[in-house]
Amino acid sequence: MNLFRSEEHIGRWLGGREPGATIPVGKLSELSHAWWDDRLSPGWRPHTRDGNQAILDRLGLTADFWRLPDP
Amino acid sequence: MNENDLALRNLTYARFVELGRAPTVAEIAAVAGRGRAEILAGWERLHAEHALVLDSATGDIRMANPFSGVPTAYRVQAAGRWWYANCAWDAFGICAALHSDGRIETTCPDCGEGLPVAVAGQRPDDESLLFHCLVPAARWWDDIAFT
Repeated sequence: MNLFRSEEHIGRWLGGREPGATIPVGKLSELSHAWWDDRLSPGWRPHTRDGNQAILDRLGLTADFWRLPDP
Repeated sequence: MNENDLALRNLTYARFVELGRAPTVAEIAAVAGRGRAEILAGWERLHAEHALVLDSATGDIRMANPFSGVPTAYRVQAAGRWWYANCAWDAFGICAALHSDGRIETTCPDCGEGLPVAVAGQRPDDESLLFHCLVPAARWWDDIAFT
């Protein structure tokens, strides 16, 4: 899970490997804040699989690549 | 996750933030008033539930996501300290968890160019950068250190 300057850099880094998924860094920041915001809350409870999937779905990350495993 | 393990998890995270690094078994045992074996057994249950990640060789905390217990290519300045994140996702996650603006320092894995990012109001100052996730979500926990 890395940051890159451009698609060209990602392609070179992959070196023939199957690409994963690429999103703009602004979308990543939205995702991270939704995912980790409660991590230090005294009332923290483990996220459910469906709760995490809902975060991905809400940000439009709905391709099979972003489907979390069933519990 | 039972209430005892939840309390241990919250204590471990709280000490991580207080210390600015991963706490040791001995440090958590001392503050919790419990034995080291009991703490380690609790951490192992939390590891199994993906609530933290232990180093398989030492039993030390490798990840208390989004924080890393070991140096990485993702350094984050937030809430008055420098932290290590496990990856780009977690680098923004440290700002999120601390409810803080911040500064991320890393390098492009392809060319080695520095990629500093300031985070203010939950937004990066350089929107041109891209995030690449190599492993599909269904397999993230197959090898979380690689992911």
